[in-house]
Amino acid sequence: MTRFIESTITFPYKRSLGPVVGAFMTALTEKQILGIRCGDAVLVPPMEWDPATGAELPHEFVEVGPAGTVESWTWVPAPSVQHPLDGPFAFALVRLDGATTPLLHAVDAGTPESMSEGMRVAPRWRGTREGRIDDIICFVPGETAETEGEDTGGAAEPVTRMDYLASITYRNPVPEAADRATEASREHRLLGLRCPTCGRVYAGGRGLCPVDAIELGPECEVELPHKGTITNFAIVTPVQYPGQTETEPFVRAFVLLDGTDVIIPYSAVIDLPADQVTVGQRVDAVWASPAEETEEGGGMGGSWGSLLGWIPNGEPDLDDPDLVNRIF
Amino acid sequence: MSARPVAVVGVGQTHHKSRRLDVSFGGLVREAVFRALDDAQMTLDDIDAVVLGKAPDLFEGVMKPELYLSDALGAVGKPMFRVHTAGSVGGTTAIVAASHVQAGKHRTVLAVAFEKQSEGNAQFALGSGKGASLGAGGAFAPFIRAYIQRSGAPEHIGWKVAVKDRLNALKNPYAHLKIEDISIEKVKASPMMWEPTRFLESCPSSDGACAVVITDEAGADAAAADGRPPAWILASSSRSEPPSFPGRDPVRPAAALQCAADVYAGAGITDPRRQIDTAELYVPFSWLEPIWLEAFGLAEEGEGWKMVDDGTTELRGALPVNASGGVLSSNPIGASGLLRFAEAANQVRGAAGEHQVDGAKVAIGMAYGANNQYFSTWAVGSSLHPFD
Amino acid sequence: MSAPSTDIAVIGWAHTPMVRHTDKSETQLLMGAITDAIGPLGLTRADIDFTCLGSCDYITGQAFSFVSNLDAIGAWPPKRDSHVEMDGAWALYEAWLRLQEGDIEIAVVTGSGRSSTGDPALIYPMEMDPYFLAPLGADPLTFAALQARAVIAAGVADERTMAEVAVRARGTGDVESLLAEEYLRQPLRRHDVPPITDGAAAMVLATGDRARQLVERPAYITGFDHRTECHNPSFRALDDSPSTRIAAEAAGLGDAPVEVAELQAAFTHEELLLRDVLGLGDDVAVNASGGALRDNPIMATGLCRVGHAADHIFGGGGRALAHATSGPCLQQNLICILEGRS
Repeated sequence: MTRFIESTITFPYKRSLGPVVGAFMTALTEKQILGIRCGDAVLVPPMEWDPATGAELPHEFVEVGPAGTVESWTWVPAPSVQHPLDGPFAFALVRLDGATTPLLHAVDAGTPESMSEGMRVAPRWRGTREGRIDDIICFVPGETAETEGEDTGGAAEPVTRMDYLASITYRNPVPEAADRATEASREHRLLGLRCPTCGRVYAGGRGLCPVDAIELGPECEVELPHKGTITNFAIVTPVQYPGQTETEPFVRAFVLLDGTDVIIPYSAVIDLPADQVTVGQRVDAVWASPAEETEEGGGMGGSWGSLLGWIPNGEPDLDDPDLVNRIF
Repeated sequence: MSARPVAVVGVGQTHHKSRRLDVSFGGLVREAVFRALDDAQMTLDDIDAVVLGKAPDLFEGVMKPELYLSDALGAVGKPMFRVHTAGSVGGTTAIVAASHVQAGKHRTVLAVAFEKQSEGNAQFALGSGKGASLGAGGAFAPFIRAYIQRSGAPEHIGWKVAVKDRLNALKNPYAHLKIEDISIEKVKASPMMWEPTRFLESCPSSDGACAVVITDEAGADAAAADGRPPAWILASSSRSEPPSFPGRDPVRPAAALQCAADVYAGAGITDPRRQIDTAELYVPFSWLEPIWLEAFGLAEEGEGWKMVDDGTTELRGALPVNASGGVLSSNPIGASGLLRFAEAANQVRGAAGEHQVDGAKVAIGMAYGANNQYFSTWAVGSSLHPFD
Repeated sequence: MSAPSTDIAVIGWAHTPMVRHTDKSETQLLMGAITDAIGPLGLTRADIDFTCLGSCDYITGQAFSFVSNLDAIGAWPPKRDSHVEMDGAWALYEAWLRLQEGDIEIAVVTGSGRSSTGDPALIYPMEMDPYFLAPLGADPLTFAALQARAVIAAGVADERTMAEVAVRARGTGDVESLLAEEYLRQPLRRHDVPPITDGAAAMVLATGDRARQLVERPAYITGFDHRTECHNPSFRALDDSPSTRIAAEAAGLGDAPVEVAELQAAFTHEELLLRDVLGLGDDVAVNASGGALRDNPIMATGLCRVGHAADHIFGGGGRALAHATSGPCLQQNLICILEGRS
């Protein structure tokens, strides 16, 4: 029975618009729609370059609309969270008066029967406009533009930036090997998989040997010791970004498990300040206590599950010049 | 190799900055493209195909940007290609563009690479949005620790590289970082980021683009006849190895050694240290310079740091490395590899301006990506047979 | 400048089972596809001189997602290797160019993606114009519907012929019942749009002499070209596909008839439009495999078209065409012509 993990990648991008898109967005805040001259044509939306040739276009802006004609449309019965309207609407190619090319936007027509090629539409402006394409909330049937909510007027400064919040959620199946490693970690066991061809052992639920490019199933499982040696480490000074959880320099250590070639990479260390980590330090695995267990495990998470990290065990440091190379 | 001779006849790049707030995506890449075309004395009409490279789309939140940029790059009606090999991508872009010409399929190809990473957050993208990201340098700190221990290199080597590259950048009008008062003391006093790498030993995060025009023998000969010497592509290679398995060497990755061997064999280079006049190596964290000097056979194993220490790799030294200021001075991630390849080309064209290495006839450009897994390298020369 | 060699051939390929929801990782899918592609040829991974992978970070949901796919190749000792953020059909193009250089003999290209893990309606707007289209959540179904409208208005398709394409593709259903269904995004109904499919494909290419050593009847690539159009569908005539026409001409489609055409038509109207633009008559078997309407493993769909076209040659056929596409409303199109030799 496959388990799935959900993860969401969300980021508030902040775009710079450049001179042409910037002019268009600034004009939107003034309830004006601009096109740009391209030879005999007026391009809407305006581009910095001729779409056919890539030639730079001089900044000859032309005001178009605000009303226009629907050239083509389709009905969206179940809008997505990204769509301009919550209820069913039409996406349409609207050729604004004075424009050569149509603009894609939403039309709030109520029913698909109310949509037709050739119908006239006009913008419904947002009361407070920021300089984004959705300063036009949508188009509405008819000749007359309208404004929703209190009209707070045009932007005080030319608009040069645009916000774009991207948020995608993925639901990924957890491969069997990863799950088995997580299960084992709940029992405070470190599971390895031995490749029958080359003999290398891989931990962390990897489930494959990258050298021989074969999958490693449960028949390849071996128990791994909970004692090891720190071979190398990174001390990371955290930087801030959306989603950051750290505020102090933190350690990610590489631990070579006794009697094996297995490296547990990027491990946390317990009761070991960053400035006291050494190559050759002897450590034991630390597992999450029942109180620390959450649904995903209280530890390193993922296939490492309940493994919290590694703690110095008091044995004397190992002195071996090759240790520092054992990162993989 | 039985491949047809191909050459670089135009190079362009943007003024790299932490935030290019004055341009859109299209504006950014076109700045580099039109500079490259002007350098080649060509227009978009002369370009038969476009190869675009950049790092993960998560940096800007635009998926498959070659689609949006097709018209901006004058690619309508032409082939448009998008490569992505992590940090080495800029290099791979140049290699794939050259391949388009070498195959006899296209005459003149535009290679473009860019990053407008200020629109997002590089650390966020590198960690796919999760907390406690290692950050750009966290993955390499262990490799650096291994190198220092194996070689016995003294602690100041990293600082020296950092100072050298930023001093070189002062002579590069396009470089991002211009630290007039850069010094060992200043580097040493800067905050620790990923021990032992300090802030001033680390690359910046830049918005920028680079473009290179690659053409066939006839086109290159025409440029030469017109007093604009081309950079002949002597050989190139892209090699990859898997991320993690017992037996990988963190300091001398086999993929790097093999990539170098491919290029040297193809270019007829038997003694890299003597035959290569200058190198643009991908050094985003200062200690990677001695590491790559050794992996690419420019120094014996364990001796790379000495070339830094005795000034060999300085601009007026015997083998200048990163005369442009390198990744340490400008790092629009997707473009950084192409910048290495482009700067190497400019050196052998005599077109490197104030950071020109006198008499450079053979240069290498190198880029790497991911966990030291992807390597792209090319060797360029002022003539097709520089060792005859 | 002389033309590229036509002595490079596809000699085999394999794909994973095409499923709605796989429980495997992308790397596992690829590993299986590569093993299945090279095994029957008596090759091991050590024999592969060059690999080129096609995949997309945003489909996979992770930056640098292709890096773990290296594990599927067995890149040890290190391999000559590359990656495109495009469908495997373009990875094939890169490998074909690389083999032209003459120093290596065998390449493997792959395409992989699991589109079941995210919602295409929310992901694909991110490939649209970032200022004017992405912020409206302008999704692929909307663009396909607008193009369908244009294609219908031009008389190249109608809802009935579109339903007929669907029935032929899936080998099931009847036109009348399908036409009685509600619109999904008019004029498109559920049967007009592609399924969500998880899958991967791997293909083996070899230079002439090596190809002839390994298989009886290589599928020689005698024409290969791809072209793009301007991005914003608002600026294009949606009842046409000029880049398809240019690519086909450059690939030499007009030189001789093709018996079979595998077209990456994710929507029924696209198949009819592409047929029309390519001038494929009733004598050409179009999408006998079922095409993208039957299985649509994003980032591998185009490569699978080449694979099915190659199968026709392996089975004794003379000349086949494969098409791949990328971007809204067929923005970018690739044509590959395969031929057998007596």
